[in-house]
Amino acid sequence: MPDFALEIENLVKIYRMRRGGLFGRASEPIRAVDGLSFSVPRGTIFGLLGPNGAGKTTLLKILSTLIQPTSGRARIEGLDILAEPLEVRRRISTVLQETAVEMFLSVRDNLLTYARFHGIENREAQRRSERVIELFGLAPEIDRKVQDLSGGFRRRVQVAKVFLVPTPVLFLDEFSTGMDPILKRAVMDSLRDESAHGRTIVLTTQILSEAEELCDDILILNKGRQIARGDLNTLKLLSQGVYEIAVTFDALPPGIEEAIAGLHPLRSQVSGNTIEVALKAEEGDALEIVGALAKRGRVLHVEIRGASLEDIFVELTQKD
Amino acid sequence: MSAITAILYRESKIRATNVTFVFWDFCYPLFNLLVFGVGLTAAFGSPHSTAGFDYNSFFLAGVLGMASFAIASNSSWSFFMDRDNGIFYEMLTYPMSRAEYLLGKLAFNVFIAVMQAALTIGVGASVLGIKLRFDLFPVLAIAIVIGTAGWFFFYTILALRIRRNDVFNSVTSALYFVFLFFSSMFYPLGPLPAFLRRAALMNPLTWEIDLLRYGSIGLGDPHQLAIEAAGFMLFVIACFAYAVHSLNQE
Repeated sequence: MPDFALEIENLVKIYRMRRGGLFGRASEPIRAVDGLSFSVPRGTIFGLLGPNGAGKTTLLKILSTLIQPTSGRARIEGLDILAEPLEVRRRISTVLQETAVEMFLSVRDNLLTYARFHGIENREAQRRSERVIELFGLAPEIDRKVQDLSGGFRRRVQVAKVFLVPTPVLFLDEFSTGMDPILKRAVMDSLRDESAHGRTIVLTTQILSEAEELCDDILILNKGRQIARGDLNTLKLLSQGVYEIAVTFDALPPGIEEAIAGLHPLRSQVSGNTIEVALKAEEGDALEIVGALAKRGRVLHVEIRGASLEDIFVELTQKD
Repeated sequence: MSAITAILYRESKIRATNVTFVFWDFCYPLFNLLVFGVGLTAAFGSPHSTAGFDYNSFFLAGVLGMASFAIASNSSWSFFMDRDNGIFYEMLTYPMSRAEYLLGKLAFNVFIAVMQAALTIGVGASVLGIKLRFDLFPVLAIAIVIGTAGWFFFYTILALRIRRNDVFNSVTSALYFVFLFFSSMFYPLGPLPAFLRRAALMNPLTWEIDLLRYGSIGLGDPHQLAIEAAGFMLFVIACFAYAVHSLNQE
């Protein structure tokens, strides 16, 4: 059994699009994935982060055998995705970014049909579906057709399906879209549990706090290339000297937003009487900035933190 | 095999949610026979070149061929629906090959085709007095299966290559006209003008219908039928290969 669930070598995907119309000329080719190489140990929760168009979804589509790479190699559980796509599909479950459900079937039939495709016999599928129905709160809607459910519920059904099957690798493309916070927490707990039992989970997300909380290992992509890789602490080292400062005033002082803009922050936000600033500075300078801000009004609360994943992400992708 | 049965299960579950569709699927060729066939027999009697057979008997193979064409057209719409629901792409990540995916969908179409053929042939023989050649039924059964397969794979290619359903609709409407009327579906080819006869002889639908006609009432030249059967098999294999290729290009 291979040590790595995923092994990727110099993977490239170039899209060649037409400008539209029957006689449209070919547009410039787009390098959606541009020479990626990495491997992921078994049992890891691996996060793929990046701005829109970074190549995350393309990469997941290649790994789940939906599309073929232009060049390079990828192996899942030691199996080459091009040479043995069927064997690869037997080892993966995929939640695509777009909602993917059987609209005309009931919730129950969606689950049972999915299980059948993965070779699980009916009685076992029924047993497994009971656990999933409870986890995803699907019981009240179990016999309703999915076309009659809200978008959030459809997404639940889609994500619930992959918890029915014991495939060793799970791909999740923005799985939490449309989920309420309680369900999201339950699903994240389940993902951690699955990972603890040896399942490898590869996920993309735009919600960086989710990745920060969930992922053992993170790869940040931009323009199809790797720009950073490591666990959260390793990534934080890449962004040393980035601080998040939050100051709450009893009333927002006049001219504070202009003053903050003058600090050239990585990002800033004003909500109510609280300002939040992320900036690159020496430790002493950060304290001086807090002091200067405090002189502008009556301060109720001050907080200084190290860089969050969001700060690291913004800094690295902007630098790139 | 389990992938094919899973597709079969899925297709039948979905189709079972639409009773109108099931009814129409099963009864479509029979209604054609009862309306067109009976009407044309009453109006024109037996065609000269099919002496010994009335128009109902002649037209029986035509409605079975028309039905395999219609099943293919209807089921290729499911690719558009599955794309809209997102499930199409998810299914391509399931543990099955692209060939199994298509064969599973075909298996369901064959089931429909066999059911509607049984109904049509049964009513045709008992109500319209069509004299069937039971000894040739294996030919008929094979023609129904490969006919359904050929048109299903052909329409699958169109559905996969043409991504807009309005364009697909226009193309298939045009093809419907060309394939149905440039064939031996409605009329024997002998008395036709040369250009029409030549076009019809190059039409795979003619080859299928000629086989169905021979298998149902024994009408046809076995030597020509052997060539047409070989041609249709090539058509099926080529369409299947290209449909699998198109799925890989999705």
